[in-house]
Amino acid sequence: MRVRLDGVVKRFKTVEAMAGVSLTIDEGEFFTLLGPSGCGKTTTLRIIAGFYDPDEGAVFFDETRMTGVPPAERGIGIVFQNYALWPHMTVRENVAYGLRIQRVPEAEIARRAGATLEHVGLQGLENRTPGQLSGGQQQRVAVARALVLNPRVLLLDEPLSNLDAKVRSRLRSEIRRLQQDLRITTIYVTHDQEEALVLSDRIAVMDAGRILQIGTPIDLYERPESLFVADFIGTNNLVPGTVVEVAGGVAALKTPAGLLRGMAVGSIAPGGAAVVAIRPENLALDSSGTDVAMRGRVVLSQYLGSLVRYEVEAGEGVTLRVDVSDPKRHRLLSPGQEVTVGFRPSSAQVFPQESRG
Amino acid sequence: MTPPAASAAAPAVAARRFRVPGVVWASPIYAFLALFIIFPLWRLFVDAVSTEGGKFTLAFVADFASDSYYRRALFYSVLMASGTVVGCVVIGFLAAFLLVRYDFPGRRSFEYLTMLPMIMPPLVGIMGLVFILGRAGTVNVLLMDYLGLNRPINFIYGWHGVLLAMVLHNFPLITLSVVDGLSRLDASLEEAAEAMGSRGLRKILDIVIPLVTPGFISGAALVFILAFADFATPLVVGVQSLIASQAYLNIVQFVDRRLFKMGIVIGALMSLMAIVFLLVARRMVASREYAVLSYRAVERQPLRSVARVLAPAFFIVVLTLAFLPSLGVTLAAFGRAWSLTPFPTHFTLDHLNQVLHLTPTYVLNTLRFSAVALLIIVVVGVAIGFMLARTTLPALGLTDSIVTLTLALPGTAFGIAYIRAFHFPLPLLGIVLSQFWIIMALALAVRRMPYTVRATYASLLSLHRSMEESANSVGASGLRTFADITFPLIWRGVLAGALFSLMFVMQEASATILLFLPGWETMTVGIFTYYTSGTIGQAAALGFVLIVLCAAIMYALYRLTGARMGGLFGSGSG
Repeated sequence: MRVRLDGVVKRFKTVEAMAGVSLTIDEGEFFTLLGPSGCGKTTTLRIIAGFYDPDEGAVFFDETRMTGVPPAERGIGIVFQNYALWPHMTVRENVAYGLRIQRVPEAEIARRAGATLEHVGLQGLENRTPGQLSGGQQQRVAVARALVLNPRVLLLDEPLSNLDAKVRSRLRSEIRRLQQDLRITTIYVTHDQEEALVLSDRIAVMDAGRILQIGTPIDLYERPESLFVADFIGTNNLVPGTVVEVAGGVAALKTPAGLLRGMAVGSIAPGGAAVVAIRPENLALDSSGTDVAMRGRVVLSQYLGSLVRYEVEAGEGVTLRVDVSDPKRHRLLSPGQEVTVGFRPSSAQVFPQESRG
Repeated sequence: MTPPAASAAAPAVAARRFRVPGVVWASPIYAFLALFIIFPLWRLFVDAVSTEGGKFTLAFVADFASDSYYRRALFYSVLMASGTVVGCVVIGFLAAFLLVRYDFPGRRSFEYLTMLPMIMPPLVGIMGLVFILGRAGTVNVLLMDYLGLNRPINFIYGWHGVLLAMVLHNFPLITLSVVDGLSRLDASLEEAAEAMGSRGLRKILDIVIPLVTPGFISGAALVFILAFADFATPLVVGVQSLIASQAYLNIVQFVDRRLFKMGIVIGALMSLMAIVFLLVARRMVASREYAVLSYRAVERQPLRSVARVLAPAFFIVVLTLAFLPSLGVTLAAFGRAWSLTPFPTHFTLDHLNQVLHLTPTYVLNTLRFSAVALLIIVVVGVAIGFMLARTTLPALGLTDSIVTLTLALPGTAFGIAYIRAFHFPLPLLGIVLSQFWIIMALALAVRRMPYTVRATYASLLSLHRSMEESANSVGASGLRTFADITFPLIWRGVLAGALFSLMFVMQEASATILLFLPGWETMTVGIFTYYTSGTIGQAAALGFVLIVLCAAIMYALYRLTGARMGGLFGSGSG
């Protein structure tokens, strides 16, 4: 099913949690709402679920306007951040509760609940109560409970945030596999950009109640449209400066690290304040084959096996992160050593300085 | 690396240097519990199954069991207590649900006012109700004068009057527990149900009630025992056919040894019931207590249309009924020769002058005994709370059970047990405690200590050990840590518990009525004896003073904790 939001505004007292959100999620898509806490992503999910109605605008499931339709009649399944398993019911009772409310015959309840529990790998634990399960198992019960009613849309609100790293990455793959098996439209809320990149078909980055950019993980990583997205997705070196020249889509900035050039994004004009963003893997420690070069001094070197990460001080208040992949072919530098750091302007971007408040 | 000082047993400072085992430090506490709780109870049970000569016999128990009058009284008592619990749960739950989940005119005021009925002990409450609803009370006089009613309506004399007074006094206990439980429920638990189509009453029955039930099982058990064991309230309205009233009447007469023995058997039976109830309640709570990560409370919803009027109306009706007794007591305390008129026609300060100035014994005794009791409560109660929360001394589980048991133990049984246990010279000391005034303070302290223990325990639990450990780690000594970190963070909770204990100490009216000797009369004893001997004005004046004192304590409690005191009655262990 397709989910469409059209100019949705939601206010809590005087705070605008959603300031005009429009987006379309396609049938069978894994769509993620990504942003820092308080950005409005959970509110968006709850508006889609029907726990709130929009103050302005509307939500459409296919072509049907959903305003005023209660959650239970929307055909959604929802997994909460704390799972919200009912502690006084067993695993089976938790999963079967929705079927029971819908007056499904007992025999079919047993069959469907059993099948769903098996699907998420919980057979054998049916008679435990949530308190007797590990975090990962609780999470699976929550997913099973959301799926048992065959929803048209699956909503997940930070479902992995309470788990430790190992369990998290395993369940991440399981959720993705399950979603691809069922081909169910899935909307996922997270503040973890890595989780979003790994899981999603498309991601909407939100901040302060607005959507800043919607795109595939590759789009967002390689072609961020704003400084916020460039900073939020992955790691980026941000060097502020003043624009001295814009020519052919390439802007030149005067910065404490020298004159730097990158692709202009948005309205960049000479004399304006701007920021150049360069990803650590796009910086090189030898200046051959690069057009822009900075002098600097190594302050920190971290050997991570598959790569070496340096912090290089290149001018007043500018510390650059430089990743060197394939350390075998690289002679390790030690702190204090002078280096030249170079990059290609085509791999750097220049954004107007955002006034954030 | 040596372990930090805080991981040593009990008082960390001393333990580090002298290595005195914690058990030694705690031994006075163990001795206190053994002497003032275990020993009297044991004595009561032994007395119930032995002859005057000390031989084992079941004759008295059999005698009791074969007496159809007692059997009926027992049945009535169970019925009365169950009725009280049902009434309290219905009103308490409804009140809590409205207060936590909805918004309506006057909600904040009601939140505070709902707790107020607790300031009035049922003994005073029933007396106040008689002034308003009795045969010659305000309402009946008005009905007869203006509506031409020939005979007064019996609003109050009988079991229904007792039930009314009990429910009005005790429902806030349930409200507190349910408010506490409801405010801790995460909103998502209910939203998950809503997303599946479980709404309204269905959702409340399937999700909300099962989840808050463990929180008020202990409260409900407590209400049951309070109602079951109260003898003073029924006697005020002439109800003698309850088991607690029988116990009292049998014990205070000195003519018939058989009746006296029956009183002891009843006392033992009531204690046994309290123990069984406690164990059952504890088992129910333990198997159903849930820890849920809570992120978001359910949003309060404004009530609309009819409900917006009905909710305040509900509170106004309940609270008006709950305040009628105060009105009655106040009118009677200041009224002169009040009879056959709806309200007193002349007012006087004579009654107040009588109880405050001419014979201030009652007030002075209450203040004196309460002060000593409070001292004992704080010293022993805080120590026990500390032991339970911060040490791994032996028999903590048992200590916890004993403390909780004293809360549940009926005052009547408690009084009888003390009379039996301390009627003889104590070994070593040679003191006959029952002839020494300190027994009043001791009985009061032991019975109401659990509130302070629980409050201390809860405060210490909410203060994470790492806070104290990090103070230790930067070099603060154990005592310094206690003064700089622990004390500032827990004193509010402890003080709230102590004030709660104090309020109930002042209201205590069963154990003391059984224990007092001439000269030790407290205010509640005074109210009971004045009222039952027909000196109404003085009884009312004492009631008025008691209400004022308790209201002052309640006010202090509000200032300390806000309207949320649920934790004091909280479920589970501690």
